[in-house]
Amino acid sequence: MATKSIKVDYLARVEGEGALDLHIKDGQVTAAQLRIFEPPRFFEAFLRGRSYAETPDIVARICGICPIAYQMSAVHAIEQAFGVTVDGQLRALRRLIYCGEWIESHGLHVVMLHAPDFLGFHDAIQMAGDHAEIVQGGLALKKAGNELLRVLGGREIHPINVKAGGFYRLPTRAEMAPVAEDLKRARDIAVDLVRWVAKLPFPDYERDYEFVALRHPDEYPFNEGRLVSNRGIDVDISEFDDEFEERHVEHSTALHSVVKRRGPYLVGPLARYALNYELLPQSVKDLAAEIGLGPVCKNPFQSIIVRALEVLFACEEALRIIDDYDPSQPASVPFETRAGVGYGCTEAPRGICWHRYELADDGSIVSARIVPPTSQNQPSIEADLAAVASTMLNETDDRIRHRCEQSIRNYDPCISCSVHFLNLTIHRS
Amino acid sequence: MSRATDGERLAHKVLVVGIGNPVRGDDAIGAAVAKALAGRLPDNVAIRTRAGDMLALIDDWDGFDALICIDAAVPMGTPGRIHRIDPKDEPLPRDPVYASSHAFGVAEAIGLGQALNSAPRNIVVFAIEGASFERGAPMTPEVAAAIDEVADRVVAEVAQLMPREEAALVDA
Repeated sequence: MATKSIKVDYLARVEGEGALDLHIKDGQVTAAQLRIFEPPRFFEAFLRGRSYAETPDIVARICGICPIAYQMSAVHAIEQAFGVTVDGQLRALRRLIYCGEWIESHGLHVVMLHAPDFLGFHDAIQMAGDHAEIVQGGLALKKAGNELLRVLGGREIHPINVKAGGFYRLPTRAEMAPVAEDLKRARDIAVDLVRWVAKLPFPDYERDYEFVALRHPDEYPFNEGRLVSNRGIDVDISEFDDEFEERHVEHSTALHSVVKRRGPYLVGPLARYALNYELLPQSVKDLAAEIGLGPVCKNPFQSIIVRALEVLFACEEALRIIDDYDPSQPASVPFETRAGVGYGCTEAPRGICWHRYELADDGSIVSARIVPPTSQNQPSIEADLAAVASTMLNETDDRIRHRCEQSIRNYDPCISCSVHFLNLTIHRS
Repeated sequence: MSRATDGERLAHKVLVVGIGNPVRGDDAIGAAVAKALAGRLPDNVAIRTRAGDMLALIDDWDGFDALICIDAAVPMGTPGRIHRIDPKDEPLPRDPVYASSHAFGVAEAIGLGQALNSAPRNIVVFAIEGASFERGAPMTPEVAAAIDEVADRVVAEVAQLMPREEAALVDA
């Protein structure tokens, strides 16, 4: 009986503290576990008793790279509970700030963290020796996205200008103009980046995922839509618990989410793209066609291409919104607090970020629940690991280890975000 | 310390960056030194603080020909001990924690800048050994006691880097 274990004790180029255990017995992968040992962070408990007005600034601290996702899901949930509708330009500006987050987050991941895997480089520093222009492009994308966050969000890390009802202050046209210039350059960089990543050597691997994303009738989703899947889910975001459930697993301080009736599902770029392809601008679809990417991509390694296409989309969408921008309009809509329950679900760069808040009459938070994208993807990551490893069992441990790490980075996982649960009881059987 | 006479070494615009989270114990040393340097450096020396993602340094140093970083170092046995590191002479220690999707460290940012030929030609890092990096804690007394000496050494470093006529403004 041949039994072996392959371990990666500390995963690099992902956020947070995680490790990987792969167990192989008699030529079969018997277990593939993404162990998450980042300590729980208790954000949902911090929120109890706090004012709705503090919520966007508290939840922004969950993540240094996708604070907008948390802010947006929170303000939408709070507004639903209070019966407030934010539309028109303010709704567009929320899409705009989300564009900034996608550009900086995807730009960083595609170039600095994921691309080195495909080319055999240890990291982006080593890659810069042979691909300086690509690395400079990645830095420029990150800068353009950050600048949009700074101008509209008040600062680039943990923005402070988002509130229920809209924004505290709107930027002037003069403040917005240089951002548009950066974004025009970023758009050109994104086109080149799509063509470059499309030529990377991709492992020949596909999996028949259940894709889950928001879908809106008129737009590629950021802030609004129904929760849909390619296997028939089509529900209001308030019905999340009817279709999905979070489970404790012993090897992770993050909850695992599954579709109740079926099991693992995938959120993030591949799911958004497959479920919303027809809503992308023609220019993005044309570029996808040029590089040979169809409307559905089931190869998780090619998520790097879809991320690059989403950067291009976000640049174009941001420029469209800035073009229509009228700084003389109000920065927020007024509302009254009231007791109620509200739901918010928006598309973080890594996938849907679902929130539920129960609020008291005075606007204080009675309870909060946050389901981040990485915990939803965790079972899918493990399924990928088992499947990818099982195709290469005759190869060296180093090669298997490298391919598994690359598979995890396909998801751009944010382990710090995913670790948040309240119940620390571990059930052992 | 003798003044640099090699023209290659002279700097006209110097960036001093105090690095670290000011509310995590000894990680506050960078920001504390930056504060202590206020008013002690010539006009063409900029003083900034940075916490979190150090890739931002790549934008910060644009237009500067020298960079001086002040950062806390992991405990090595002598809290408050000051190490002067010139990345040309010895590699900066890299922390795997910073090789993440959300934050690059000082060593990664400088390494990337050097690979892209965008880093200032003169770089000096003052690393001060810390003892505790606990959230919300103040600096330990040993590390806090090093603030003045680090500030003096930064002033001297700037004086050595700058042409004579510009450095004459130092401590004027």
